[in-house]
Amino acid sequence: MKTIFFSVIFCLGVFGTTQADDIAFFESKVRPLLIQRCYECHSHDKKIKGGLALDSKPGWQTGGENGAAITPGDVNKSLLITAIRYTDSHLQMPTKGKLPLEEIAILEQWVKLGAPDPREKEVVTAVKKRVIDLKEGKKFWAFQPVSNPKPPLVKDTAWPLDPLDHFILNPLEAKGIKPVGDADRYTWLRRVSLDLTGLPPTEADVRAFERDTTQQAFENVVDRLLNSKAYGERWARHWLDLTGYADMIGTSNAVFAEHAWRYRDYLINAFNADKPFDEFVREQIAGDLMPSKSTEDRAQKITATGFLMVGDIEIVNPDKAKMETDHIDSQMIKIGQTFMGMTLGCVRCHDHKFDPIGVEDYYGIAGMLRSSPSSHKMPDMGVWSTLNSTVLPETSAQLAARKKLEAENEQRIVGFKEEQKKLTDEKAVVTKQLAALGKADAPSPQVAATDNAQRDISANADPKPDAGKDALAKRRDELDAQIKKLGETIKHAEFFKDKTPRAFAMSDGQAPADMPVYVRGNPYAPSTVVPRGAVRVASWEKFPSIPAGQSGRLQFADWLADNRNPLTARVTVNRIWQKLFATGIVPSVDYFGTRGDVPTNPELLDHLATRFMRGGWSQKAILRSLVLSRAYRLSSSNDALAMKLDPENKLFWRMNRQRLDAEAMRDSMLAISGELTRDSGGPALVLEEPDNCGALALKGVNPPNYKHSKPRPSQEFERTLYLPVLRGGTAGPDRLRAFFDFVDPAGTAGQRNQTVVPTQSLFLLSNDLLRKRATTLADKLIAAEPNELARLEALWLRVLNRPITSTEREDASSFLGNVELLIKTVKGRPALDSIKWRELCHSLLASNEFVFRL
Amino acid sequence: MNSILTRRQILQRTACGFGALALQDIARAASNPLAARIPGMVPKAKRVIFLFMGGGPSQMDLFDPKLFIERKHGQKIDSPLRKEVTQVGTDQFLALKAMAPVRPRGHSGMMISDLMPHLATVADDLCLLRGMNADNPQHAGATLQFHTGTFAEVRPSMGAWVSYGLGTENANLPSFVSIQGGGVREYGSAFLPAIHQGTKLTVPLDSKSLPVENLRNVSENDAIQRQRMDFMARMNKRLVGDLHGDANMEGMVQNMELAARMQLTTPAIVDISKESKGTLDLYGVGGKDTNTFGRACLLARKLSEAGVRFVQVSIGGWDHHGDIRGNLPKLCSQTDQPVAALLKDLKSRGLLEDTLVLWSGEFGRTPWSQDLSGKSPIEKHGREHQPESFCSWMAGGGVKGGLTYGDTDDMGYRAINGKVHIHDLHATMLHLLGIDHLKLTSRHLGRDFRLTDVYGEVVKEILA
Repeated sequence: MKTIFFSVIFCLGVFGTTQADDIAFFESKVRPLLIQRCYECHSHDKKIKGGLALDSKPGWQTGGENGAAITPGDVNKSLLITAIRYTDSHLQMPTKGKLPLEEIAILEQWVKLGAPDPREKEVVTAVKKRVIDLKEGKKFWAFQPVSNPKPPLVKDTAWPLDPLDHFILNPLEAKGIKPVGDADRYTWLRRVSLDLTGLPPTEADVRAFERDTTQQAFENVVDRLLNSKAYGERWARHWLDLTGYADMIGTSNAVFAEHAWRYRDYLINAFNADKPFDEFVREQIAGDLMPSKSTEDRAQKITATGFLMVGDIEIVNPDKAKMETDHIDSQMIKIGQTFMGMTLGCVRCHDHKFDPIGVEDYYGIAGMLRSSPSSHKMPDMGVWSTLNSTVLPETSAQLAARKKLEAENEQRIVGFKEEQKKLTDEKAVVTKQLAALGKADAPSPQVAATDNAQRDISANADPKPDAGKDALAKRRDELDAQIKKLGETIKHAEFFKDKTPRAFAMSDGQAPADMPVYVRGNPYAPSTVVPRGAVRVASWEKFPSIPAGQSGRLQFADWLADNRNPLTARVTVNRIWQKLFATGIVPSVDYFGTRGDVPTNPELLDHLATRFMRGGWSQKAILRSLVLSRAYRLSSSNDALAMKLDPENKLFWRMNRQRLDAEAMRDSMLAISGELTRDSGGPALVLEEPDNCGALALKGVNPPNYKHSKPRPSQEFERTLYLPVLRGGTAGPDRLRAFFDFVDPAGTAGQRNQTVVPTQSLFLLSNDLLRKRATTLADKLIAAEPNELARLEALWLRVLNRPITSTEREDASSFLGNVELLIKTVKGRPALDSIKWRELCHSLLASNEFVFRL
Repeated sequence: MNSILTRRQILQRTACGFGALALQDIARAASNPLAARIPGMVPKAKRVIFLFMGGGPSQMDLFDPKLFIERKHGQKIDSPLRKEVTQVGTDQFLALKAMAPVRPRGHSGMMISDLMPHLATVADDLCLLRGMNADNPQHAGATLQFHTGTFAEVRPSMGAWVSYGLGTENANLPSFVSIQGGGVREYGSAFLPAIHQGTKLTVPLDSKSLPVENLRNVSENDAIQRQRMDFMARMNKRLVGDLHGDANMEGMVQNMELAARMQLTTPAIVDISKESKGTLDLYGVGGKDTNTFGRACLLARKLSEAGVRFVQVSIGGWDHHGDIRGNLPKLCSQTDQPVAALLKDLKSRGLLEDTLVLWSGEFGRTPWSQDLSGKSPIEKHGREHQPESFCSWMAGGGVKGGLTYGDTDDMGYRAINGKVHIHDLHATMLHLLGIDHLKLTSRHLGRDFRLTDVYGEVVKEILA
């Protein structure tokens, strides 16, 4: 109020009488209106929303994020007038409601007058705009080049098994913490098997490790595990957690993503082949633009770009400009989180509030993505768009196999159509016969009535003619049903007749170009065009120029996978470490920014990152070193003194226990009961089952959708990774995922939650999944092992992967005895045995020792 | 006999075991500094019942009639849409008048349709918001925005935020229950502690169906399950002893006991058979159309009364793209009586004054007609989605009864006055609960997240 008072006097002095009328108009009409209607959000005393201040002339002259608010004299070019007129749905002020018409008229008149405003010199401290200081920003640890620290000296030289152990032991010794002893060999074997493959060791694996007394016993196990198919299946799933992968495109209407599985299978192959991670990274971003060695390699590289395609994509927004911007944003978030440990999503609307990343960085990368469109509007499907897909090149053998399949399908369709014709012909005959009978009966109105009760009455009166008629009518209805069913089968076979392999994949668009910054992320408010490039604060040199006609993804992929990139290797080894040790060296695994956690052991992180890169970015090599280290071999038991000095185990003086994730839990149960299928892969959606597909039409209001009502019978026994991931929640044989912290496919997370809630216990106690595995396991054990004690021994080896103790033997025996006494429904040895052993097996599968890995 | 004894023993051991979600966590949340209440402000509402009308009820037919549309019925009107925006089956832009008379009700004269005769009798308790607006024109996204404030990312639902902010009034009950709800994101806790996730409940319509998954004992009898649990407990105890303690494992041990108690007590809590006939009739329990939703609303009252902080009841079917004349009355007859009954019941028990009831769909519907077939007569047309403006109402817990707040333009497409965005609604709801929406935050990926993201203004005009 004070400011205003002074300024009024001041202004009057300056303008004198020449514009007195205008000023009087401003003071009497405009100023009070601005104060009443606008200052709450646009003044220095309150808020300055959108960067616009209306409490001084320079305020509206400079304007906010959309530029000058008023063009004096021109109401149609003045954003302020557009906003208050409420004609543009993206720019309406005040937000709470339209002004009365007379107030709008006042402001229009003011602008027409040239917006006379005496508040020229009302100097108000301008809000300091934060300027990103790249030089200062680069000093932050995560943007510093990766170093190669020397392994520090340790007192207990016998402890380290690997150079990395020096980095662990040195700070522990400095703090006076003695790490706990090694875990027993059974615990280590179960740990390493679950961590590397997501499956527990078999009885034979345990026995083999017991027998192997050589120096290489541990290496032998690790090499066996790393070379098993199960390894790729496990680690592909970890990667999928970062992608938002699902077999549905978006959240709306369960539209199926029928090619998504190819990306999942590509990942399994890539991990199993130990594809160098730098190459892997390049493929995720720009595989389609990379040279390839063979047809298969080309197909793999195209499929790899599914990384940018498989997330939760809104494809039904009627506003396509907004949809494109949202889609690019989801890709930006994913790139930032996965490779850089940065939260780029914030930068869509404004410079990052905490990290030295500006809108120029965001729109520099976004320009590449916009130059490679990911979706297109479907011509005959309402407002829907769909993801772009690319035809995959085929080898001649693949092509031949596909042609054969398509020909077979054609044959099926021909057969169905013949069958349909036969049935239709028969129906015509039957209908004719019925009509003839109907005519004969016509005089009797009672018979013509269709009401069942009446027909029954008349049937009793004169059974003969109606019996024949009923049979005909029944036949006609049967034929109708069969014809209808066949019609659906034909429609289904025709809809899916093209078996050309396709993958959801990126490709460069028609006119790659730099893009403008979108003010507040709004595509209808484009501002300065920025050159395509990478995140400057993490760059070591100027971004290379992008050849004309290219999107720039290839150059960006090279930037991400460069040995000089300070983030990629660090973020990656940290995630690998977290999978094994439960906590990252940087605990905030997905965020390395200034508000994230700092590394608890920066030298260890850089040591591993350097080794990773120098080892040709081999994931298997780094994993091998990690699991053969002393740190990984430690027991997970507590130690009072260490607990006091480092209660959160930040220095890794012991192994952290982990609850099995949803996949490991379900897969382990299947492996233990001997029901797990090992040769899986291919489509997860059961699209071959017409009942699972909604209306299969190429034109319509909504595209066909998917309902997992009829799972493939084999899916009950497949590894969880191969089951469909549905965006509307889980269904079918994988309910377990809904209870045990499966990462929501609409989100992405490098580390899953490990919650402990009672609904999980209910699940363990009562769910059919455990019941079925327990039943099979019990029956198999009974069949294989007549001796009860030997059977117990085998059960413990299978479920807990260690020998049973004598206490447990007694406990289990008395449990079996007690249960037998309580069984009321069955009699006889085999049935009693089956039930009581099932109860024991179920108990073990729900026990903490099974559910956790120590 | 044995099993009955066990059952009785277990029942005796637990006062009211339903859910009984990790009580310590809830207690901690209640004293959490993040649950900062506005200094000196006494919360007007202690609990929320959210009635979610999935699909998008037609505000124009129910609460916001338009003379202009009435007059233009069947004629072409000007499209207010941007040309980049496409809709299907609305290209003719025909005005479609209300499906039934919408009249002034009560002392306040609030406009309510003849399709909701029961609600009309409690008009003076309602605070009708006619300037509601949201950002997403599709069900999935709009539903997520209503429940979580956002549609692009996985965020905590409003019930989870409320639970996180206020904890529970009854340590033996979960603080957040979702009755007949949709996907997990509608009641999820995202990055908030899992304890704040809504417990999903299905209303059992017969004695066979279970309100919560995995609730049935699968052993032959309770005594065998007891054996199984005791054996597991001994195994777990030995393990935790060997490891010198483990909080997670101990939590799982306790939860196993809780789970067994839930098996026994949950069916009793959802059992409405002991309610008086008058109450059952009030809600329409046993009624042809009202049975399911009546039971759901009655259950909401029971849970709310027992101290559940946030109860969410969902019903779908409001998505009337076609034949809205035939379809809208069906949904009204399923919900009108139960909803009005809930308000009356709460009021007669003295609960309405500190219970906030919120009724809303994810968006509204267009004033112009939609005909997906392209061939139907206007009597068979429906309406397209409309997030630009729609109606919600609140009742009880600190809002002005009988107030109609906000207006739309002549056509009923855009709110022009008293605009309330979903973020504003969330901010207001938290305010009524005594929480400053700016202060209820949780750190995730280096940033403090809120239910209202970076938006939201408390709608002071509707506060009592």
